[in-house]
Amino acid sequence: MSSHGSNVDPKTAELWDKSHYQHDVISTRTFGYFMYLLSDGMLFATLFAAYGVLSYQHSYSGGPTPADFVKPWYTFAQTMALFVSVLSYGLAMNALKHKNKSGVINGLLAAFVLGVLFLALDIHDMTHLASSGITVATSGGMSAFIILTQVHAAHVFFGLIWILVMMAQVLAKGFTTDVVGRLLTLRMFWHLQAIIWVFVFVFVYLWGYMS
Amino acid sequence: MSHGHDDPTLHPEVQMSTSRGYFSGFAISSILMFVATFLVASHAVPPFGLLMVIAVCAGIAIIAQIYFLLHIDVSEHNIWNTVALVLFMPLFLITIGLTWWMFSQLYLRTMIMPGMMH
Repeated sequence: MSSHGSNVDPKTAELWDKSHYQHDVISTRTFGYFMYLLSDGMLFATLFAAYGVLSYQHSYSGGPTPADFVKPWYTFAQTMALFVSVLSYGLAMNALKHKNKSGVINGLLAAFVLGVLFLALDIHDMTHLASSGITVATSGGMSAFIILTQVHAAHVFFGLIWILVMMAQVLAKGFTTDVVGRLLTLRMFWHLQAIIWVFVFVFVYLWGYMS
Repeated sequence: MSHGHDDPTLHPEVQMSTSRGYFSGFAISSILMFVATFLVASHAVPPFGLLMVIAVCAGIAIIAQIYFLLHIDVSEHNIWNTVALVLFMPLFLITIGLTWWMFSQLYLRTMIMPGMMH
C-alpha cells in the first residue's frame, strides 16, 4: 500500500500500485483457469436445467425412475471417497507449502486412489443399471439423469489423468513455477468436482430417490 | 507485496493452504451429507420439509467448500476470484431457474396428466 494518510484527496490519490515488480505468472494462470472453471460450471447449469425439466413423472414414460434404483448409502460411499480424495489433495498442497516433495507425492497418490474408487463405484452402478435394462435410451428422464452424472464422472476421469501427470512432473522437474502453477490449477479443478458433486448428490440422487 | 518470485512455493496461493482449513471444509460437508443421506434414507421427515432440509444441507456444504477449499474471500490476493464467482452465481441460478420455470408452465398448459408434479 502506498503512503497516504487517513485523508485521501481524490484528485491526487493513486488507485493503482504502479510499481509492479514483475509479472505474476502463477496468479495470471490461476485466475484464467478459474474463469474456465466458471464456464465449466455453466455447462453443468445447462445439464441441471435439462434434468430439472426432464424429471417429471411423464418424463420417465412409465419406465423406471431414480426412486426405483438409487441407493442413498451406496452413493454416500461415493461422496466420501470423493471428499477424502479432495482432502488428500489439500494435504498435498499443504506439503507443497513446506517444500515436502514426498508429502506432495503421497497426497496426490492418495487423491488418485480415492478418485479411482469413486469412479469404480460409479461404473459399477452404471453397469448394474445397464444390466437391468436401464440405459440413456430408456426415457428422457433417464437420459438427463445418466448424462448429468456421467459428465461429472468424465470430469473426475480427466482429473485422475491430470493427477498422474502432475505426480510425474513433480518427480521429474521438482517445484518449478510451471509445476507449482499446474498443481494450483489442478487443486481448483479437483475441489470444484467435489462442489459440483454436492449438487449432483443432493438434487439428483437424493431428491430423485425421494420423488 | 512480496510475491516470492524466486521460489514459486512462496507464492501466496501456495502459502494460503492450511491443513486446518481443509479438515474444516471436509468435516462440515461430510457431516451435512451424512445428515442429508440419513434423513432421506430413513424417510424421517415429510417430503417437502425434507427437500428444504437437504437443500439447506447442500447450501451450507457448498459455502463451506467454496470458503475452505477454494479460498474464496475478500483478501487482497483472492478478491478477483470472489468477484468472478459472485457475478457467475446469478447466471448459474437464472439458467437453471428460468428453464425450469418455463418448462413447468409449458407442461401445465399443454398436457393434462394426473399426478404430473413431483
